[in-house]
Amino acid sequence: MFHMLATGFASVFTDPTCITMVFLGVVVGIIFGALPGLTTVAGLSMFLPVTYVMASHIGLAMLTAIYIGGISGGLISAILLNMPGTPASIATTFEGAPMARKGEAGKALGIAVFASLIGTLTGVAVMIFASPLLAKLTLKFGPWEYFSVTFFALTLIASLTEKSVIKGLLSAMFGMMIATVGLSPTDGTPRFTFGSLQMSSGFHLLVVLVGLYAIREVLLAASEKEQPVKVLDYKMKGLGFGRRDLKGNWFNLIRSSLLGLGIGVLPGIGGSTSNIIAYSVAKNSSKHPEKYGTGIPDGLIASESSNNSSIGGAMIPLLTLGIPGDGATAILLGGFMLHGMQPGPLLFQQNGPVVYSIFAAMALGTIFMAVLMWGGMRMFVKILKVPNHILIPLIVVLCSIGAYALSSRVFDMWGLLLFGFIGLMMSRFGIPAPPFILGFILEGSLELNLRRGLEYSNGNWLDVFTHPISAMFLILTLLSLIMTIFNNYKAAKKDLAQGV
Amino acid sequence: MDRDLKKEIGVGIFFLLLAIAYMAGASKISTFTPFGNRGLDSRSVPELLGILTIILSVTYIIQICLKSRKLKKIQKEREINSSEVCDWEEDICVEPPKGTFVSRIENVISVRLLISLIYLAIYTALYQPLGFILSSIFFLIAESFILTNKGERKKWAVFIILFSVGASILIYFVFTKYLTLILPSGILG
Repeated sequence: MFHMLATGFASVFTDPTCITMVFLGVVVGIIFGALPGLTTVAGLSMFLPVTYVMASHIGLAMLTAIYIGGISGGLISAILLNMPGTPASIATTFEGAPMARKGEAGKALGIAVFASLIGTLTGVAVMIFASPLLAKLTLKFGPWEYFSVTFFALTLIASLTEKSVIKGLLSAMFGMMIATVGLSPTDGTPRFTFGSLQMSSGFHLLVVLVGLYAIREVLLAASEKEQPVKVLDYKMKGLGFGRRDLKGNWFNLIRSSLLGLGIGVLPGIGGSTSNIIAYSVAKNSSKHPEKYGTGIPDGLIASESSNNSSIGGAMIPLLTLGIPGDGATAILLGGFMLHGMQPGPLLFQQNGPVVYSIFAAMALGTIFMAVLMWGGMRMFVKILKVPNHILIPLIVVLCSIGAYALSSRVFDMWGLLLFGFIGLMMSRFGIPAPPFILGFILEGSLELNLRRGLEYSNGNWLDVFTHPISAMFLILTLLSLIMTIFNNYKAAKKDLAQGV
Repeated sequence: MDRDLKKEIGVGIFFLLLAIAYMAGASKISTFTPFGNRGLDSRSVPELLGILTIILSVTYIIQICLKSRKLKKIQKEREINSSEVCDWEEDICVEPPKGTFVSRIENVISVRLLISLIYLAIYTALYQPLGFILSSIFFLIAESFILTNKGERKKWAVFIILFSVGASILIYFVFTKYLTLILPSGILG
C-alpha cells in the first residue's frame, strides 16, 4: 500500500498538468461553495464535461478538488453574508456571522479555514488508510453480501433523510423504478422502453444526477428574486488568528472532525448534516453553552472541521462499495464510470494507480484550499458580487453540454429537463432527493445480486441468512427500521400533543 | 383538513397512481428463463417494487388521515376547554384577496420559474437544428433577461448581449477544438 501511495504522490507532484487542474478545481470549488444558492454539486456538474477527454487520473483529481473547494468555500458567505454558501456551512453562520458583526470577521475566516484544513486532512488521511483495507474485506463479498449491504444502505438513507421513513422509502422506490427503464441485468430483456431504441439504454446516471441536483438548483434560484449582496468588511492579517484563539478547542476540533468523518461514511448524507450535528454536540458538551450564538470560535470550529472531514468519509463507501456518501460523491461516481472505472472492491485491484493518485491529488487539493483561502480571500469575496442572472444561464449551458456529449444525442438533454422538473416537484412536496438518487444508483446492483444469489441457491430465499455478513446487515436493516419507526411514532405523538 | 396534510395526501395518491401504472407496465415485460425458473426473472423485481410502493403509499395515506382525525379531535377539545370563542378559525376562513391573473399564477408557481422551464424546453428543441452557438446565444440572452430584476434590465442589456455572444462562441471553440467534444454546428455548418 505504501509503495502504491508513494507512486501516486510521485505521479501527481511531478505532473504540472495535474497540479494545475487540482489548483483550478479548488478555485472553481471555492467560488461555487461561496456563492449562495449554488452548491458543490452544481460546480461538479458544470465542469464534468471539461474532464471527459482528460486522462482519468487528472479528470478525477480535478473533480475531487472541486469537491474539497466547494465544501470549504461555503464558510466565506456564511461569515461575511450571514448566508450559508452551501448546506454544509449552515452552522457556520451561527457563530461566524455574529463574530463578523462584532468586527472579528478576519479572525472568524482564519479560524474557519484552519478548522476546514484540519477536518479535510483528517478525513483524507482516514480515507487513504481505511479504504484499501475495507476494499480487501469487501473483495470476499458474494452476491448475498452485496445484496444485504445495498439493501441496508437504501433503508438507512430513507430513514435518515426524512422525518417520515415511509416518505423516504417511497422516494427510494421512485428512484429504483426509474432505474428499471432499459435492459434488465443478466438477461437483457427490454423493460419500460415503449419500443424506443433510445430508451433501451435507460437514463444515464449523470443525466439523472445533474438534472435532479444542478438543474433543480438552478430552477429554484430562478424562482427567487435576486437580492443585492451586502458583504461585511473584514481585515485579515496573516492567518487571521493566534494560538490563544484555539485554546481549549483542540479536543472540540478532533471530536468534530471524527464526528464528521463518521457521518460522511453513512450513505447519502454528508457535510450538510454533519455540521449541524457537530455544532449541537459541541454546544451540549460545552461548559458555557449560553455563549453559543453570540460569536465564539467553538461553534465555528465544530461546524467547519466536521463538514470538511465528511469529504474523506463520504469517499470511503464510494471507493470500496460503489455507494456514494453524499450528492457530490454521487456525481464523482458518474465521473469514475465515464472514465471506464467502476467504484467498488475491484477498483483498487484494477485501477490502483489511478486511485492512489486521486488520494495524492486530494491531499494536494487540501493544501491548495487552505493557501488559496488564506491568501486569496479578497478575490473570492469580490466574486460574491457576481450576479446570479449571469451565472445561472451559463451553468445550464455547460450542464447541457455535459448531457449532450455523453452520447451525442438531444434525448439526454430532455432527460436533464425531465429530472430537473422532477427534482423541483420533489422539493416542493418535501420528498427527499438522496433516497431517490441512491435508489437509482443501487437498483442495478441490488437486482443483479438478488438474482445471482437466488440462482446460486436454486431459488432458496433463506440462503441469505446462512451467510454471516449478509445476515448481520439484514438484522441491522431491521433494527434501523424499527428504531426509526419508534422515533417517528414518538415525534408524531409529541407533535399531536402540541397540536401541530 | 389542514393544507399541509392535503399536500401529504396528494404525495401518497401520486405514488399510489405511479405504482399502479408501473405495475401495468411491468406486466407487459417479457420473461426469459433458459435454465428453468430457479429464482427471479426480468419481471419479478419491477413487480416487487410496484407492490412495495402500493403498500407504502396506502400506509402513508392512512397515516396522514389518522393524523388529521386526531388533530381535529384535539382542536375540538381545545375549543370546548377554551373560555374564549376562538376567532382564529374565522381568520383562516377569510378568503385571500383576488389579484391579477399573473399574481394568481404566482401563488402556484413563480412566473420566472415557469418561463425558465419554457426557455429550457425551447433551447433543448432547437439545440440540434439551430446548432450550439445560435441556440446558446438566444438562451443565454433570454434567460439572463428574465432573471434580471425589471428595473435593472436596461442597465445590463449591452453586457448581457455581449457576454452571451462571447461566451457561446468561446465555449464552442474550447469544447470542440481543445476538448475534442462534438457539439451540433446546426445552420452555421
